[in-house]
Formats: sequence, C-alpha cells, structure tokens
Amino acid sequence: MFETTIIVLTENTRNLLKKVKETPVLYFIFSGMTIFSIIIFSFATYFIINIETNLQISLEDMFFTIFFIFMLKSIADFHNNYIKSIPLSYTLSTQKNQKRIVFEIFVAVLIIQLIIWFSFSVMYLVTLTIFRVNVYYPYEYLLFTLGVIAAVFIGFSICINFFSPYKYRLIPSIILLGFYFQGRHPLYIVLTLPLAVLHMIWSIQSSMPSYLFSKRKERMKERSQVKMRGVIRAIFYRETTVLWRDRLLISFIITSISTGIFTGYFYVYGDEILIPEYLRETMSGFLPSMFLYLSIFIVVMYTAVFPSLNLFLNEEKTMWLVRHVPIRNDLFVFGKTSALSLCFLTAIPVIPYISMVPLGIKYVGKKSDIILLYSVAMLLFLILGSISFLRFIINRVFEYPIFIYAIILLIEILILYISLKVSSKMLALNYNLNRQNT
Amino acid sequence: MIIVNNVTKTYGKTIALNNVNFKFDNSHVIAIMGENGAGKTTLLKIITGILPFDNGTILIDGYSIITDSIKAREQIGYLPEMPEMYERLTGREFLYYIASLRKLNDAENKIYEITKMIGIYDFLDSEIGSYSKGMKQKISMTSAIMHNPKNLLLDEPVYGLDPLTSKAIQDFIKNKKGTTVIATHSTQLVEKIADLVYIIMRGKVIHFNNVESLVSRYGSIEEAYFQIKDVVNV
Repeated sequence: MFETTIIVLTENTRNLLKKVKETPVLYFIFSGMTIFSIIIFSFATYFIINIETNLQISLEDMFFTIFFIFMLKSIADFHNNYIKSIPLSYTLSTQKNQKRIVFEIFVAVLIIQLIIWFSFSVMYLVTLTIFRVNVYYPYEYLLFTLGVIAAVFIGFSICINFFSPYKYRLIPSIILLGFYFQGRHPLYIVLTLPLAVLHMIWSIQSSMPSYLFSKRKERMKERSQVKMRGVIRAIFYRETTVLWRDRLLISFIITSISTGIFTGYFYVYGDEILIPEYLRETMSGFLPSMFLYLSIFIVVMYTAVFPSLNLFLNEEKTMWLVRHVPIRNDLFVFGKTSALSLCFLTAIPVIPYISMVPLGIKYVGKKSDIILLYSVAMLLFLILGSISFLRFIINRVFEYPIFIYAIILLIEILILYISLKVSSKMLALNYNLNRQNT
Repeated sequence: MIIVNNVTKTYGKTIALNNVNFKFDNSHVIAIMGENGAGKTTLLKIITGILPFDNGTILIDGYSIITDSIKAREQIGYLPEMPEMYERLTGREFLYYIASLRKLNDAENKIYEITKMIGIYDFLDSEIGSYSKGMKQKISMTSAIMHNPKNLLLDEPVYGLDPLTSKAIQDFIKNKKGTTVIATHSTQLVEKIADLVYIIMRGKVIHFNNVESLVSRYGSIEEAYFQIKDVVNV
C-alpha cells in the first residue's frame, strides 16, 4: 500500500538533505531569506490593515494568489516526479496497476504541498500575532486549505494533459479554471472541489499516454544552421540554441516587456493608487521609486541572474565534455557568457555577471538550483539597494552625473572581465598534489 | 604514448587508485579489466583530465596533463561509459560543436564517414534527448574518434551496441594506429582486439601480460581473469 508515495517522499527528502549537506551556507541564507520574506509579507499585511490606502487587497485576491502558486508548484512537482522521472520506468514495469502508481505519486505531491502550506501559513500567522493582528479566522483558514487541495487536483490534470498527445484534453481543466476566475469567491472553488476530483480521476485514466508520449517524442531539426565555427561562436551558438529550444529566450523577452509596462504604470500612477491623500505630500515619489527599483530587481533577476547562474549549473552532467576537449577555460567562460548578451539590454546589466558566473562555476556538480538562485536574489537585493543609494548621492553631488555613470560602467566592465578570468581559473581542475611532481 | 607514474586518487577515505604505474605504448590495444569499482573508469577520467588526482604524474605523448593540459588533451579521444550530452541539440549539431571546439578541418567528411560506418547517419537530425542509449553511444564514439586522435581511451566501447556496429567498432580499433586503451568487463572483446591486458583490483594493478600468453596459458581470458583474481584473493 502506497509504496510509490513513500518512495517519492523519501527520495525528495533525501535529495533535500543531501543538498543541505553539500551546500549548508546556501541553505542557511535561503532559510534566512524565507523568514525575512514572511516578516515582510506580514508587515505588508499589517500596513494594509492599519493604513488607509486606495490599494484594496481582498481575501479573494489572496486566495487566488495562493491557489495559483500552489497550482504551478503542483504542475512542476508532477512533471519532476512523473513525466520526467527516469527511475519511474522500473515501478511502471512491475505487475502493479499503473493507474494506481500514478495515483500514489499524486498523493505524494499532495502531501508535499500540504506540508509547505501548513508550515508557511503557520509561520505567517505567528508573525502576524507578534504584530498584534487578530488571526482567529478558522473558517477562512479551512477555505484556504481546501483551495490548496483543489489547486493540486487541477495542477495534476493540467500537467498530465499538457504533456499528452491529445492536448484538447486540457480544455475541461481550462474551463474549470475560467469558472473559478469568474466566480472569484473562495467558497465557489471549495464547492466545486468534487469537480476537480473528477478531473483528477479522469486524468489518471489518460496518464500513461502522456508519460509515453513525453518519452518517445521525436524532435527533428533542420540542419541549415550546422556549420563549423570559432570556439567562442560555437559555444555561443550552442547556448542560445538551447535557450531558444527551451523557450527561455521568449520568456526573458516577455518578462522584460511586461515588467517594463507595469513599472511605467506604477511610476506614473503609483502615488495616486497607493498613497492615501493625507500622506501624499510627504511621501510623494517614494513608492514609485520603490516600484521602479523592485521592477529592475525582478527583471535583472529573471533575465540575467537566473540564466547566468544556470550557465554552469546546467553543465553538471556534461562537464566531462568541457574538460576533455582542448580549449582554454577562459574561451569557454567567455563563449557561455556572451550567449547572455540579451541580458545586456536589461537594466543594470553588468552587475549580475560579476558575481553570478563564478558562483555558477563554484556550484557545478552540486546543483542547488532554486535554493541557490533565491539566495543569490537576496544578496543581489542588497547590492542593488546600495547602487540606488549611490545613484541618489551622485545625482545630488555632481552637476553632470552622466560622466560619473560612464566611469562607473567602465569600472563595472573591467570588474566583469576580471570576474570572468577568475571564473576560468575556478573552472580548472584543482590538483592538490602532495609533492612537486608535475 | 601514455605514461602514468605513481598515481594515487582518493574519494574521501576511499582509495580509488593506489600508486599505480602504466606505460601504454604506441601501436597497442591495451585492455584494463577489473570488477566494478576497481578504478578503471577513474583511471581513464584522470588520464583525460576530467578528474584531478592526488599524487603522481601523467604524460600524454610527452605532455603533462596538468601543466600542458591543452596539448595533452589534443592527443586524446575519449568515450565515457555513460555519455551525457546536450539533449536539446541534434546529433549533427553536437558533432559540429565538438568539431568546432577541436578546430577540426574537413569536419563534414569525417562526420559523414564515421556516422555511416557506425550506422547513426540517418538519425543525425533528431535531438539527442530522443536517442536510445546505443544511439547516444554512437554519437559519443563519433565525437571521440573524428579528430583521429593518437591516443584513444574507451570506456566499455561496445556496450549497448548492436552486433553490426560492435563489429565495425572492433575493426576500427584493430586497424587504428597509435595507442588505444579500453576499460571493459567483456573478456570476449579483450580476446578479439587487445594486445595487452592489465587487471586491476581495489585501485592496484594485480596482473599485466599480453593477451596471447594469457590465452595459451589459461585457455581463455575469462579463465585467466578468474584464476588470477582467485590467487590474489587467497
């Protein structure tokens, strides 16, 4: 009974423990960042409750945000533990009913989401209590919990049918999501929970074709782009090809544009929307600047930091290729970094590379993926904060700050060059020979 | 020629290679045999510069793998046991990528010849992610030999290959000039193509001889392997 559930949970737990052992500092930073985020979120709640603003965040909005986040997380977890799982083929080849196996994976993912939900929500509520905010809402908490469960059901259906050869099977889940969005009220989602369960059961029936389809799919490509190139250009071409085929380039561009639009909107109308009239005179300009800063942060994180870190983290299993071909490490690092030239179009472009590329190399083979990325996000937050402070000083002190900015940019590029050189040194194998015998 | 001199490699407290010495001469096919975890793959990875080692020296055609790493790696072709490649590239893109890194002249013809020989040519425009294990092995084999290296290091070269391809690879190895080192469990393969055999156990060389004398003394390489191992165990 539930052997697969136990195996999936055990594997996930051991993977986490292994990563914690390998990179304890990162996990320490990550834990710090999590606690920090919860405090900030609680403080924002306190702020919204106690200060009168035009910004209205309703219970429905929060409910839908949490519902959506857990739905995405469930889709990702089902993808990792079912669609993409290699060892699962052993389990599926046993005499055990395959639908039952899929159901057990579903249970494992549901348990994971509930653990995350309970631990984070309890931390949030405890922090609110410290701020002396009334948190006695048992009925609402129950609704939210049922909403998380519904999100896992819908996430499962979407994941299974998205990878199915019959994509039209996604339609019922999308219609249900549309109704949820239209209905808006948490109670509506909870009442339609049986419908979500039906979706899940129906998706389990068609789960095997999705698994098999994702395994056997033939991906033919045209050969027109195949030709000999110089070393750096060859690496550049390989990186951008992979980014393009993983649909990451498009995603970077869309994120940059949409964040740009939101930033502009808040910069122009931020005061009006967010600041109460009686505070507008004293606080005018503060929130728009903050939004501008936050948006730059998000764009830089998403389009520069994530990809530049992943440049090397994704090489984990293919490092043998990198290390056995006769090319200098610096050519390899330059080639890879040049593939992210798109990121140079985004705000404060050079800064992330300076620290991200060496970090990516340091953690090659100890892939800490999301944890590493978010820990770095926190550090970058501090760096960008210092930069905006510096910008403020420069604007005040210098009459023609453009020259100062030009000098700063040159210094950044110089540091970037040094950073890439250091990265290539780090990429080299570290021979700690006992004697002088080379 | 590959010279491995007093090399030691440890993984934490486990000694993978314990002060081993090898001299792989030109024009020889050398087989390295041993049980799982004996240190065969580690040895090949160390020679190719993929893994660092703790003590000793390695020279590839006179170039140190540490101080003249680039020159040393130019002389090497390597096929790993489990070839992991870029899954979102097609086989052809991958081979051109490696050819570009190796600054290979006439890559198109070489890729054509080798991929035809080992029977992967018709699948070159599919993404590597959709390949079977054998197909990945063939692509990896092509990347290992397309620059015609003087020293070829092959980890289980025919494992997972169909008989026809396996035969083509064996013929290629037999006719190839230079040094070829094969790490394998297959005693039949050793008998068919190797000139010399090293048997290693727990990171140490326990026996070294040429294949002909082992076969004449023990009847077969399989028998020789078992008897030599038994003697050492006793």
